[in-house]
Amino acid sequence: MRDKALFFVLWLIFSAICEWLASLIGPHFYFYVASVQAQEGQNAAAFILYMAVPIFVFVVMMLLFALFRFRARDDSIQPAKSQIKINKAYVGTWLGLSLVFNLFLFVHPTASAAQAYFNESMAYNKSPKTLIVDVVARQWEWRFSYPQYGLTQTVDANGNDFLELPVNTPVKFVLNSYDYNHYYDPQIDVIHSFWIPAFGMKMDVIPGETRTEYIEPTKISSTTQNQMLRVQCAEVCGPGHPYMEANMAVVSPANFAKWVAQQKKLEA
Amino acid sequence: MSTVPNNLVTGASGLPLQPRRRMMAPVLRGVIWAAIGFLALNTLVSQVDPGPLHSYVNQVSVVFGWMGAVIGWVFGVGAWDAVVKPAFGYPLRWKETVGWRRFFEYSTDHKVIATQYMVASGSGFIIAGIAAMLMRLQLMEDHLWLFSVPQDYLETVGIHGTIMMFSLATVFMVGGLGNYLIPMMVGSNKSAFPRLSGLSVWFVPAGILTVAFSPLLGAWTTGWRGYEPLAASDGNGIVFYYLGVFALLLSSLFVALNLVATIVFRRAPGLTWNRIPMYAWAMLVVSFLNIIWIPEIMMAFVLALLDKIVPLPFFTAVGSPLTYLEMFWLFGHPEVYIVVLPALGMWMEIMPVMSRKTLFGRQWGIIGLIFVMLLSGLVWAHHMFPTMSDVEVLPFSFFTEMISIPTGFAYMVVIGTLWQSRMRLKAPSLLVLMSMFNFLIGGLTGLFLADPMVNMQIHDTFFVVGHFHYTIIGGMVFSGFAAMYYYLPKFSGRMYNEKWAQFGAYWMFLAFNATFAQFFIIGLRGMNRWVPVYPQYLQAQNFEISIFAFLLGLGFVYNIVYILWVWVKGRKVESQNPWKSKTLEWYANPNPEEDNFKEIPTVLTGFYDYSDDSHPIAWDPTS
Ligand code: HEM
Ligand SMILES: [Cu+2]
Ligand SMILES: [Cu+2]
Repeated sequence: MRDKALFFVLWLIFSAICEWLASLIGPHFYFYVASVQAQEGQNAAAFILYMAVPIFVFVVMMLLFALFRFRARDDSIQPAKSQIKINKAYVGTWLGLSLVFNLFLFVHPTASAAQAYFNESMAYNKSPKTLIVDVVARQWEWRFSYPQYGLTQTVDANGNDFLELPVNTPVKFVLNSYDYNHYYDPQIDVIHSFWIPAFGMKMDVIPGETRTEYIEPTKISSTTQNQMLRVQCAEVCGPGHPYMEANMAVVSPANFAKWVAQQKKLEA
Repeated sequence: MSTVPNNLVTGASGLPLQPRRRMMAPVLRGVIWAAIGFLALNTLVSQVDPGPLHSYVNQVSVVFGWMGAVIGWVFGVGAWDAVVKPAFGYPLRWKETVGWRRFFEYSTDHKVIATQYMVASGSGFIIAGIAAMLMRLQLMEDHLWLFSVPQDYLETVGIHGTIMMFSLATVFMVGGLGNYLIPMMVGSNKSAFPRLSGLSVWFVPAGILTVAFSPLLGAWTTGWRGYEPLAASDGNGIVFYYLGVFALLLSSLFVALNLVATIVFRRAPGLTWNRIPMYAWAMLVVSFLNIIWIPEIMMAFVLALLDKIVPLPFFTAVGSPLTYLEMFWLFGHPEVYIVVLPALGMWMEIMPVMSRKTLFGRQWGIIGLIFVMLLSGLVWAHHMFPTMSDVEVLPFSFFTEMISIPTGFAYMVVIGTLWQSRMRLKAPSLLVLMSMFNFLIGGLTGLFLADPMVNMQIHDTFFVVGHFHYTIIGGMVFSGFAAMYYYLPKFSGRMYNEKWAQFGAYWMFLAFNATFAQFFIIGLRGMNRWVPVYPQYLQAQNFEISIFAFLLGLGFVYNIVYILWVWVKGRKVESQNPWKSKTLEWYANPNPEEDNFKEIPTVLTGFYDYSDDSHPIAWDPTS
């Protein structure tokens, strides 16, 4: 009985302390959040973290109890006083709690966050305001075009592929994997993964399929200011995979309009 | 049983046994026959298929040449005399040698085979570990400096992952410890299929070497999944990936057949289903997983190989590019439980003994193992969340979260056993506690990965790499070391020194956590996988992770060397059973020259009641 009471009290105390620590870490789990979707993922991750803490404390304390409180103090081999084989209350509680815990996590945040993302996708897809960016992945390049503005390949001052987005405007990325230099040989197309770390979302680009990803950027920044804001291929796609990266920027709508005009001039 | 002299091959169904001809060392003969086999078949195929663009060793010929080499190797080490010829009615001339030589040839003794497995698997660990060190060395800088081209790094990653998974993680606790302990645990003098088992172990060195030498054919960049459609357009080394893994899996499949049959059919009288030891349950469940899923992935590899060498574009962009990935992970997720269930079984084996307390909730431990086995076939697609369309994700998320429940039963059982016990803190129990801590972190970080929204951020980053190293190293490797320290007195008749062993355990534990906990952080900071070149802002942390990784590598080496040293030179034990364990392996004779049991014991009680010092079998301590 004394062991149980001690354990329970300590568990409460340490859980509280660790929850407090988790509440400091939780909101920064993603390090840098620059889109509505990343914020949702960040919230989900923080929630899971808070849920995991009491379990972590429980098991670790049990291990520590074994190490310190239940440790044999001498080398003699003698039976422990308790030889309990089963305790229905303990097993029942364990089973019940782990079932409740996992079902709960499935409902929230797993299903709820997924649902939120589906709803946003549908809304962005319908909205006339949504910016459409066609993304082509090939070995080893990201190419961006803006069909609404007639831009076929946007580049930066050095002629490298460049992605620019207006802040607080929904974007629909249309993702395809093929090589526009030799589209006659579809055999060699591979899977890539479109990932912008700051946007908290990633989508594989599959040869022969068209995938979409919906994002609403919320912060003005650029790769030069923060490397988390970069287009990175996340799925190994051959020797050039480490170099399959493109720079990008999120700018104000006014600057975006200027940029579009400038790109148009370049392509003309 | 005891009337048959035990260095006789008793498995050979009564064929007359004749003295062995003098012959060269079997391993040497194996190497020579392998070379001949390779040359013969490679030449033949090159000649039959003299495409003007084909070189002498080409994709197709090398596949056949490789088959010739493996057959030559297995025949050379003894299968020809001991298995093939007797099968065709020739007199059996193979007589197993005694002494150290028997470890270097075909054998039917499960203790010898198991030792061969442990050595082969341990060598895989070292080879793949060296690859890991090279990777960490490269990652200390953000640009290429150690490797000259990215292919070399990616290939090193692939070799590391492949050899670790298929020759260490899948093999050590099953082919090694399982083969050693299971016949003893169930009170038998031999396993059910000793000749099959004797053959199977020789596929392990063949497989490891094939993968390790894959760069000879050309760099491959796909990593351990060998995944399509990249593999189809990738370097030719991928051919050796398929073949090497095929050999390693074949070995594991044989082990599985043998272990299942041994546990089901060779139990001593009185060892009822109710009394089967926990590790034997783990081996049974793991072997079922192996039997179900290994043939599946082997077929996938055959298709992928054809895709590559014919080529038949099953999985390229004009075929079905996602099918290979589905097939790989359909096996791949059960695979991770193949790796970890033996570890869970080992916890439940060691802890009641060390804590002198009856195993708590034994039935729940078994239920947990079985449900993990069943559910593990339903979660594969969580390895592919960003690959799937959104609507397919949720069911897999659901089962992924649910599988943590039966996995948790192992914790429930061990924690229940430890509660108010008299825990003797020795290297094995310490390592089990460490393993439980590490695997807990592996499991809890899995919660984040199971959530699709969070997964989309951390998939394919170092967060995942941290997660699976925590489960595999934290779960399996730490438990493997626990088992080695625990069984050392049985295996070798020698005892390690508690101080040196615990020092080694703390070393591994600290270095491991310092390394891999940081993988989570650097992954969240935006470090993606498979990159020898990465943004500059991640360099400082990578540099410092590498330092800890080297310390970890040294820690592993320290423990391995120390265990080997004790095995040959350690202090002799006074008692055959220093932990006073009740499972049958502790009553068995570890000397490979002799039978496990002079007389097959009759089991009278279960094995996990530690309330007294009684024996589960009629036992005469003077014998
Ligand atoms: C000294 C200990 C180890 C270190 C420092 C280490 C390090 C690493 C690193 C850095 C990677 C990621 C490479 C990348 O994506 O760029 C990796 C991948 C991997 N490691 Fe380890 N590792 C160690 C031990 C192990 C062990 C013991 C196992 C399994 C038994 C293992 C299995 C794997 C697998 C399966 C991969 C994935 C390979 C792939 O992406 O294809 N590692 N390891
Ligand atoms: Cu790519
Ligand atoms: Cu890539």
